[in-house]
Amino acid sequence: MSVMQTRTVLMAILLISSAACTSSDPLRPPQPATQIAATGGDGQMGQVSAELADPLTVLATDAAGNTVADVTVSWSVVSGGGSVTPTSTTNSSGIATATFTLGATLGQQSVQAQAAGLTPVLFTATAVAAGTGLSVVGGGDNVLERFSSDLWVHGNYAYSGTWGFREQEGNTLKVWSLGASGAPTLAGTVTVPGIGTVSDVQVSDDGQFLVLSGERGPNGGIFLYSLSNPAAPSFLSSALVGEAGVHTVTLSTISGRLYAFASRNPGFPQSAATDPALLIYDITDPEAPTLVATQRFPERDYGIHDTFVRDGIAFAFVWDNPGLVIYDVGNGIRGGSPSAPVEISRLITATNGVCCGPSVHNGWWFHNPVTSERRYLFIGQEGVANIGSSSSGDIHVVDVSDLAQPHEVAFFHLNGAGTHNFWMDEERQILYAAYYNGGVVALDVSGTLTGNLSGRLLSQVKPGGAGNTFTWGVQLANGFLYAIDMLSGLWQLTTE
Amino acid sequence: MPDVVIASRSVAKQSRGLPGRLLRGLRPLAMTVPLLLPSLARAQSSPWIRVGANGVLLYTFADPVPRGRSLAEVRLVQPAIMVHAGALSNRLRFLTTINLEGLTIPDGELTSGAWGEGFIDRRHPHTYLHELILSAHDLLGQIDGAARLSLAAGKGFAPFGTDDPMVRPVARYPVNHHLAQILERAVVIAGMTRGPVAFEAGLFNGDEPESPSQWPKLDRFGDSWSGRLTLLPVRGLELQGSYAHVHSPEHRPGAGTDQHKWSISGRWEGAVYTYPVYALIEWARTSEAEGFFVFRSFLAEGAWTAGRSRLHYRFERTERPEEERTLDPFRSVRPHFENSIHGTTRWTIHTLGYGLRLGPPGLGARPFVEVSYGRMADVGGGVFDTRRFYGRDSFWSLSLGVRLNPGMPMHRMGRYGVALDTAGLMEKGHHERHAD
Repeated sequence: MSVMQTRTVLMAILLISSAACTSSDPLRPPQPATQIAATGGDGQMGQVSAELADPLTVLATDAAGNTVADVTVSWSVVSGGGSVTPTSTTNSSGIATATFTLGATLGQQSVQAQAAGLTPVLFTATAVAAGTGLSVVGGGDNVLERFSSDLWVHGNYAYSGTWGFREQEGNTLKVWSLGASGAPTLAGTVTVPGIGTVSDVQVSDDGQFLVLSGERGPNGGIFLYSLSNPAAPSFLSSALVGEAGVHTVTLSTISGRLYAFASRNPGFPQSAATDPALLIYDITDPEAPTLVATQRFPERDYGIHDTFVRDGIAFAFVWDNPGLVIYDVGNGIRGGSPSAPVEISRLITATNGVCCGPSVHNGWWFHNPVTSERRYLFIGQEGVANIGSSSSGDIHVVDVSDLAQPHEVAFFHLNGAGTHNFWMDEERQILYAAYYNGGVVALDVSGTLTGNLSGRLLSQVKPGGAGNTFTWGVQLANGFLYAIDMLSGLWQLTTE
Repeated sequence: MPDVVIASRSVAKQSRGLPGRLLRGLRPLAMTVPLLLPSLARAQSSPWIRVGANGVLLYTFADPVPRGRSLAEVRLVQPAIMVHAGALSNRLRFLTTINLEGLTIPDGELTSGAWGEGFIDRRHPHTYLHELILSAHDLLGQIDGAARLSLAAGKGFAPFGTDDPMVRPVARYPVNHHLAQILERAVVIAGMTRGPVAFEAGLFNGDEPESPSQWPKLDRFGDSWSGRLTLLPVRGLELQGSYAHVHSPEHRPGAGTDQHKWSISGRWEGAVYTYPVYALIEWARTSEAEGFFVFRSFLAEGAWTAGRSRLHYRFERTERPEEERTLDPFRSVRPHFENSIHGTTRWTIHTLGYGLRLGPPGLGARPFVEVSYGRMADVGGGVFDTRRFYGRDSFWSLSLGVRLNPGMPMHRMGRYGVALDTAGLMEKGHHERHAD
């Protein structure tokens, strides 16, 4: 064999043998750990003198990035006066775990993890006063074959949608009976044909009708049901938009007529007919919904995700561009009506460093009965997410005391999670926000809101626990806060 | 393999039909460029044209597919017509590939793991005009000494990563296609080579096509860029590293998340004793949404040819995003209206194949069989559950087919300008060599 042939054979062997290599070698002798890093439990919130919901975890690795077992980690309280597991040892995956019980001091508390010769790791947590806490009363782990979506509670019944594909398609409306204790019991399931997700649910104020929006199928649109028997909604009519579907639908009574404000998703192929749009239907006769207005968003910057309608003002939440759009749809300040909305103003909120843009998603216009102010609009930013496990996005506070000149004044950021739908206890001036993997958060929104509102956090709960919580929405009803969780279903919470 | 070669001082007289018309169409351009570029004007005119075609008649059985069932289908995949032409001593090159998959597989191809199993998903469709590139080579002539500068423009691949899988030995598309290549873009590429080193930099539009007849969104041209460094340390060995910043590839209007992509590969083509051998190792990584999502790929493949027979093997471990599907589980919701995904799956796949060259050389016929076995794993959280979606966490597939490649062999798609030149420094290219 010539030198050249030898070289080519060696090269082939090298290339092919490299292909067969894997990243771990069982014969490799154990190497010492060169660093520990936090992998879980940082940035939590809990009541004073109570154990945090999630354990604190660190990962030990060697210089090559391989995990290292049997490393002793010492834990100590740095501030706040609580207690923590004194020592723990990394397992076969290189993870060491500790539980942290907060001290009696309100505000930030911290714990340090240290392994011999390595740089320590600091964990922080926020302690809030006892008595302002959210806690689970009942429900939960009651929708296991599907992922849950939106929620509406009316009287002694609750209605929740289903989403995507779990073991079955999310093409159903779940009907819940709320017993004397308020605990939810599944009373029935309504299948909606030709869709794969029930993305939004609402009941009319008089409890006569239910409307839902559908996506992920040829029958995307809105569907109306009679609640003459609230335990068994019966189909009345639909208004279909096709494959693109409708992301949310909001009901509002304006000048004595009932309207549905539907957020149509962008469709394909791109054209005016498939642009994302706010569709306004007159559903006063729920058996014959009539489209009375279409507000397109040709920017197609993901499109419209939700609306909030109050006092004849419609707030459209239209992602990065145009962001927030405010319409007069019957208020009178600009002569608008549901069939002829008049735009009042627009605002693109800040990104707050959240990937990948303002992602204006939902909102709530706060009518403060204590101060009689209608000053603040809370906006949810739906940042990038890995549905079911991680999320991002802040609550943005916009001063809309002059609807023509909205401007952002404050924000709330929760480490490690992003916000979704809101509900308010306006009399108590508390904002409840679903926070996906962060569960449910209660914020004090009394007084003047400015800057960073992290000190306004009252309480947080993960109804399903860590790894089983991805909360979509909340609603106050009958003295309880109901939370619908994509992973773990419908929960009943107390707010005291 | 005999190419359809036309080399004449009077192209119009000797070329007939479509190729002739194409060349005649190029003549005014070829006559204009030398006026602008003196070095080209000095070059000796020797125009040529090659024409080739490709197609694979394929039976595929896969078990499982989404929802846990098995599926078999017969399709004509990878149908393509290629035309290459050169003039001015090859200093002006024209290259086009017409891809007809939009007609033969409008619903995509049954390829487990490959971006949704159908090409309406994130594995976007090949468009009818897959490549149309005009390139000027050695622009500065003697001015830049031993270096050679090229400029290429048109529709095709960005200078990033490795060759299109269509021109590699394994018929099955790899999962990493959109991690390891950037294609179907309007591109302008400048390249420079000196000795064994070549560097290319390209500007292009970030948007992926959503239908076979769609053009690149020209108002987005320049919102994305890439660079590729290629080394040829010894004959037959090609090493490359590349980086790309791609703006909003998954949302055509441009509101989507950006990708940062890296690729490193080693490609070797030569002979062991007298047997032609080909090997490729590549690593690719795509970071999206400011690092919120990271998808990695490692792939190694090789082929060994003895006479009419060829054995090939590929190992691949690639991560891919799982997106919201429609009621048709082979389709994901398009267009996007938020930045979320449902999880990440890792596909580890072994593919072994055997092909036999048959028939007259000009037909380029090669019946083959391929068997793949793979495992899927959920990594990094999210609601996507492989076992629920596929019924289990492993799959296998069988492909029986015959590739026909009459005329010009398939070229190393995605290489223009100096990269086309450096590809020529290699052996003749895998298909050319193994189809001979």
